[in-house]
Amino acid sequence: MEATIATLLTLSSMLLPIIGIMLGYGAIAGEAESGALSVVLTYPVKRIDVILGKFLGLSCVICASVFSGFGIAGIVISIATSATEWRGYLIFMALAILLGILYVSLSLFFSSILKRKATALGAGIFIFFWGMIIGTIWLGIYAATGGSIIELYTGKASFPEWFWYELFLSPQDGNQTATLLAFGIKKIMGISFDIPSWVNLGSIVFSQLLWVMTPLIFAVQFFKRRDI
Amino acid sequence: MVNKKVKCPKCQHIIEIQGNPGEKITIVCPKCSTKGVYIFPKKDTARDLKEEISGNIAIQVRSLSKTYNSVKAAQEVSFNVKKGEIFGFLGPNGAGKTTTIKMILGLTHPTAGEVYINGRRMHSDNVEVKKEIGYLPERISFYLNLTPVQTLNFFCELKEVNKSVVPEILKELGLQDVANRKVGTFSKGMIQLLGFAQAMIGSPSIYVLDEPSSGLDPRWMKVIRDKIRYLNEKGATVMFSSHILSEVQALCDRVCIINKGLLVAEDTIENLNKKLNIKPKLIIKIKEKEKISSKDIEDIEGVYEVQIKDEEIIVACDGKKKLQIIEDIKKIGIDIKDFQTIEPSIEDVFVKLLEGKNECQKGHGNCKKRVHGQCKK
Repeated sequence: MEATIATLLTLSSMLLPIIGIMLGYGAIAGEAESGALSVVLTYPVKRIDVILGKFLGLSCVICASVFSGFGIAGIVISIATSATEWRGYLIFMALAILLGILYVSLSLFFSSILKRKATALGAGIFIFFWGMIIGTIWLGIYAATGGSIIELYTGKASFPEWFWYELFLSPQDGNQTATLLAFGIKKIMGISFDIPSWVNLGSIVFSQLLWVMTPLIFAVQFFKRRDI
Repeated sequence: MVNKKVKCPKCQHIIEIQGNPGEKITIVCPKCSTKGVYIFPKKDTARDLKEEISGNIAIQVRSLSKTYNSVKAAQEVSFNVKKGEIFGFLGPNGAGKTTTIKMILGLTHPTAGEVYINGRRMHSDNVEVKKEIGYLPERISFYLNLTPVQTLNFFCELKEVNKSVVPEILKELGLQDVANRKVGTFSKGMIQLLGFAQAMIGSPSIYVLDEPSSGLDPRWMKVIRDKIRYLNEKGATVMFSSHILSEVQALCDRVCIINKGLLVAEDTIENLNKKLNIKPKLIIKIKEKEKISSKDIEDIEGVYEVQIKDEEIIVACDGKKKLQIIEDIKKIGIDIKDFQTIEPSIEDVFVKLLEGKNECQKGHGNCKKRVHGQCKK
C-alpha cells in the first residue's frame, strides 16, 4: 500500500497543480481579453459573485477529475490487490483535491491582478516551480550552514527545526507530507525522520487552507477594482 | 431662498433669517445685539440631481474623467441622453468613446465623476440599475461550442429572465434558422446579431452599443441599422458610438462628439450645422471652363465661397437662395450641364469641430488630414 500511495503521490503532486493552474489562469484575464467578461459584468450580477462562482466551478472540475482519475484507479487497485485501506485512500483523494483547489485559487489570483492571459500563465508556471524548487533551496541552505546531506541519508543526523518550515512554504511538499502522515508513513526511501510534533496533519492542512483563502481574498479585492 | 430659525447663543432669542444655499450672513440679535455669522448649507447635489433627472433623462454623465498612468482617456466628460432618443456618440478612433461607455456601464472605474441611469447612481455592483441596460461591446465573444439557444439561455439565467423569450428574440433578429448551429461556425455579422439578441434579453429600457457596425459589410450594416431603429420604435433609448458619420446622420436624434478625451459638442445635427455656420453646397457641372471667372460668381447674392475645378464649380451658398443662384449663373452666360446640391453633413460638422482642437502633430496649422492623424505634408 505504501508503495502504491508513494507512486500516486508523485503523480498527484505534479498533476493537480498543473490542472489547477490551467483551469484558473484564463478565467479572468482571458475573458477580459476576449470581451466575454465585459458582457457578463453588465448583467445584474455582483463582481464578487462572478469570481466566487468561477472559483467554485473550477473547484468542482478539480473534484470531478480527482474522483474520476484516482477514484477509478483506487477501484482497480482494490480489486487487483484486495487492499482494504479505503479510508486512507479517501483522505489521499481529499488532500489531492485540496492541492488542486489551492492552485486554482493561486492562478485565479494571478488572473485577476494581471491584464493579460499570457502573463497570468507565466505567473502560474512560476508559482508551480516555486513549490518544486523551494525544497532544493532549503537543502542548499542546510548544506551551506554546515549540515551534511550524507549523514542525513545514513541516519546519523536529522533535519534542524527550521527545515520543517519548508512544508508550509511549498504547497506540493506540504501536501505530500500530509498524505504520508495520514497513512502513518514515517519512512521515505528507507530513511526515517524525526518529525517535530508541530508538524502534523492538522497543522499542514490548516496551512494549505490558508494557501487557498489568502489568494482568493486578494483575488476578490483586486477583481472588484479591476477595469475591464 | 431658504428660511431658517436660529437661536441667539447669549439670550436664547429665536431669530428668523432668509438666504440662499452657500450664502454667509451676519446676524445681529435684536434683543441683546450680539453679532453672529450663519452660513446656509450648500445644496445636497446628489439629491437635487436625482430630482432633476428623474424626469426625462435616461443617462446622465457628470464630469467623468479617466486617467491611465499619465494618459487622459477622458476629461470631465458630461452629457445627457434623453429617454426615447437615439443618441450618437461620435469621435475618431482612440478618442475615448469605449472608455466613456465602459465607465457608464460600471465596467471601468472613473478617476472622477459619476453616472446616473434613470436617476440612479451607477456603479459596478448596482444590480438594480444593470437590469435596465442592454450592452453590446465593440468586440463580443461567445463560447464557440454552444448554440445560440444555449448562449441566450445562459444570459437569461444571469438576468433572471424566463428562457421562453429566447425563441422569440431569435426570430425577431432572423436567427431562428441557425438556432441550433454552433456559434463557432457563425460569420461576423451573425455574431453581432447574436450580440444584439443578448442585449435584448429582459427588454431593457436603455441600450448601449459600442461601434455596433464596425467591421461589417454594408449589407450587415443596414441590418444593424434597422435593428437600432426597431429597438427605438419599441420605446427604448439607444446610445451608440461610431466613427462612421453617415451612419450617425441616418439614425440619430442628437449626437455628442468627443475627441482626445474631451467633449467637443452635444446637440442635434441641425443645430450643430447652424452653430458652426456650415453652408450647403452647389456642385455645378459646366461645358467650358475658359469663360468663367470666379469673381463674377462671387458677386452673386447669397454666394459665400467659390471653387472652380476642371468642369465643376463648387459654390458654398445660402440654403434658401440656391435656385436664384443657378439662374444668376445662367445669366452670366455660363452653360450649365448639370447640378447637384449637397446638404451639410455631419462630416462637415466633424471636420469643422475638430479643426483647431486637434493640432496637426507636425505643426501644420490648416492641415485637414490631421483629423485622421495622417498628415503627410
